[in-house]
Amino acid sequence: MALGSEARTLRLVHTGFRMAREQGRPWVAVHVEVPGWETPAEADQARVWLQEASELGAETAWLRAATVSEGLIEEGGRRGVAQVVMGRTRPRGPWDRLEHSRSQEAIRRSLGVRIVTLPLDPPTVRTRTVQTGADLLGVALVIAALFTALGFPGIPPVFALGVGYVAHRWGRAFSVPASLAAMAIFVTRFITDPFPFQPEDWTNGLYLAGALAMTQMVVLLVDRLHLETRLLRRREAETLLVMLLGRALGRCSTAREVALVLAERLRGLFQAQAWLLFPGEGDGWLSLPEAPEAPASPRPTDLLPQFSDAASRAEPFEPLFLGSCTYVALAGPGGAEGLLQLRLEGGRPLAQESWGLFQSLAVQSTLALERVRWLEAAQQARLDTESERMRNTLLGAVSHDLRTPLAAIQGAATSLMLPEPLPEATRLDLLAMIRDESQRLARLLSDLLDLTRLQSGAIRIQKEWQLLDEVVGAAVLRMEASNGPLPILVDLPESLPLVPLDGALMEQVLINLLGNAHRHAPQSPVELRAWEEPGAVQLEIADRGPGIPAEFHQRVFDKFFRMPRDLKDGGVGLGLAICGAIVKIHGGAIWVENRPGGGARFRISLPLEGLPPAQLETDHLPPTLKATP
Amino acid sequence: MSQPLILIIEDEASLRRFLVPALANNDYQVLTAATGADGLAMARSHNPDIILLDLGLPDLEGGKVLQSLRQWSRKPIIIISARNQEKDKVQALDLGADDYLTKPFGAEELLARIRVALRHATQAALDTPVLQCGSLRLDLERREVSMDGVPVRLTPLEYRLLEALAQRAGKVATHAQLLNEVWGPVGAGQTHYLRIYMGTLRRKIEPDATRPRYLLTEPSIGYRLNVD
Repeated sequence: MALGSEARTLRLVHTGFRMAREQGRPWVAVHVEVPGWETPAEADQARVWLQEASELGAETAWLRAATVSEGLIEEGGRRGVAQVVMGRTRPRGPWDRLEHSRSQEAIRRSLGVRIVTLPLDPPTVRTRTVQTGADLLGVALVIAALFTALGFPGIPPVFALGVGYVAHRWGRAFSVPASLAAMAIFVTRFITDPFPFQPEDWTNGLYLAGALAMTQMVVLLVDRLHLETRLLRRREAETLLVMLLGRALGRCSTAREVALVLAERLRGLFQAQAWLLFPGEGDGWLSLPEAPEAPASPRPTDLLPQFSDAASRAEPFEPLFLGSCTYVALAGPGGAEGLLQLRLEGGRPLAQESWGLFQSLAVQSTLALERVRWLEAAQQARLDTESERMRNTLLGAVSHDLRTPLAAIQGAATSLMLPEPLPEATRLDLLAMIRDESQRLARLLSDLLDLTRLQSGAIRIQKEWQLLDEVVGAAVLRMEASNGPLPILVDLPESLPLVPLDGALMEQVLINLLGNAHRHAPQSPVELRAWEEPGAVQLEIADRGPGIPAEFHQRVFDKFFRMPRDLKDGGVGLGLAICGAIVKIHGGAIWVENRPGGGARFRISLPLEGLPPAQLETDHLPPTLKATP
Repeated sequence: MSQPLILIIEDEASLRRFLVPALANNDYQVLTAATGADGLAMARSHNPDIILLDLGLPDLEGGKVLQSLRQWSRKPIIIISARNQEKDKVQALDLGADDYLTKPFGAEELLARIRVALRHATQAALDTPVLQCGSLRLDLERREVSMDGVPVRLTPLEYRLLEALAQRAGKVATHAQLLNEVWGPVGAGQTHYLRIYMGTLRRKIEPDATRPRYLLTEPSIGYRLNVD
């Protein structure tokens, strides 16, 4: 694929994409920059096409070469292409045509590939040209007929046609010498009698004046045709740009992305830098993209009132030019979304012919911004609903689980205060109940607080390089302190590396997991193992309990989730959710598997990230320092 | 010392209501103060043998009260704090508090801590060079360590670490305190030194390193040599 810089190139890009898709091959879009052949504006435009191609799955390349064919041959040879698709505008004369076929031949020979040439002239313009040509011919024939009827030879119309062609081909300036030359030829060649030319002969004078008027009329017609063609081409390019921008904006999901797309497209379009100004958090206004920084502008809140409804509906729409920048308000039905700030090279104002385009881009941007805002609002609404639902579940679970121990404590305490003395055994039993239930309450509250703080990010993890032995030891000890000796088999190889973890949090994880395992299999030992894997340490806690059905393997880590069989065991379903949250802020993973031979097996993978701490000073057993004399 | 005097500086009435009878019933004299200012004044006028100080006082920061007390008193101070105040606890311990209790706590735990603190205060006065806890015997004068009479060979750093813990036997020693005493200024912030040496020390002293009996971990705070 060889890309030019004209707006029509988009058709070439799309054709390339279609052909590549039909043939199921990868494709490369190439722009060859021939030094001195394109303006910076055209180069920017070409970048837009290359980007479009890359969005359609092409690899892209930007080459510099002495000629297009040279560049294509080099790049094609390097990549081993099978086919070259070139766009071509109508040849401007035989030399152009020859040049075209020569370079094609060179490419074909060097690469040994098929070349597909795609005519790129828009059909609309061609019909217009043909039509205007027919008009011209018609006018010329009518005049010729008139002249013949008056007894003059019908030659002048032919000259007029010639002059018209010159004007069409090389512009109006050339038409004046051309008509003079035509007249000279006419006077010297056709007016033979009387010769030399007699200005007194009124018929000849009339003849000449008529011929001159006619040629100028033809020139005017041709000129208008040119103007219209140019306008048409520009509109086509503009429509295309607006369409492409619309598509790019359609993919944006944040205001930042909108700003980036705008800045990029406007650079290609106006050779200008663009910024999006819109309200941020609080009173401040954001200016995006941050780099390069936008030139200082008046406060957007002061600018906005200048874009009254009437002003932005005025025809022609006139953007605001202040300092070195052009501004347009991005105002939708929901009020002002922001401002678009544009700085052209040298700080000049935007040309009037571009005002309309600028406005339509502003409209597109407004739509994109509004869409982004609604998207955010919808997301927020979803989050709100979710957290509302969470709150309800939480309230439901908490109120029940808080009330049960409270009821027991209240009941036990009031029984103890009854005037009738209770038997000693009952009294002690009630006291133990008050102690146990208050401990349960305390545990529930701290679990709830922990989870809330973990999930809201209020707990800052403090990772330190630690030995797992110590964390495991602390957890086992704390469990045995409240439950008495437990059958926990610990297997930690001495070769285990230091692991970066938050001791207090990871201890909580182990306590929750060991506690669960013990609760579900009180008779059999719980096994805790750890081993090193590349980049991580794996921890396993395995029991011989009833296990967890596979369909709950994910859900057991959800808040308040309890398996149907555990609904009566007094838990609230927070323990594993806390484990999940803690492991997550460690950057690790936690999951549960069925243990071969029965039971559940929880695994934790903790990443060994960062540099392990520096080596310690050497410390040996000195031969002199004996522990006993 | 008959009937040691305890000063409780605690703003919550319900906690005072539980503490006063529990302590009085165990042969302690009890004084209470509800604010930091009152507490400081009572400490000066009564010179209590031990002070229980709540970190969450309404008028003064617990740390401030502690600093003022430590300017003139070497008497044991036990911090009472809520959960999740690890930073405050460590700060208070580094400022010279002897131990801490985390709310909610039981009466047994409270009494045990008070006993250790008082014993430590009297022991420091006696300057006993030999520490015997369970099977572990540590002779600070002769620099000897043995388990059930069997000598244990320690490297110099391991010994210094055990010695630093023994000087606070039964009380918590913060990471910063241990690092400073064993490694000096270069140890500041290098808690992994401490963890590694604690690991090797446990393997030499503890019968089961994953169920430490002597060298207990106080998560996020430090270590404690258990003497019970």
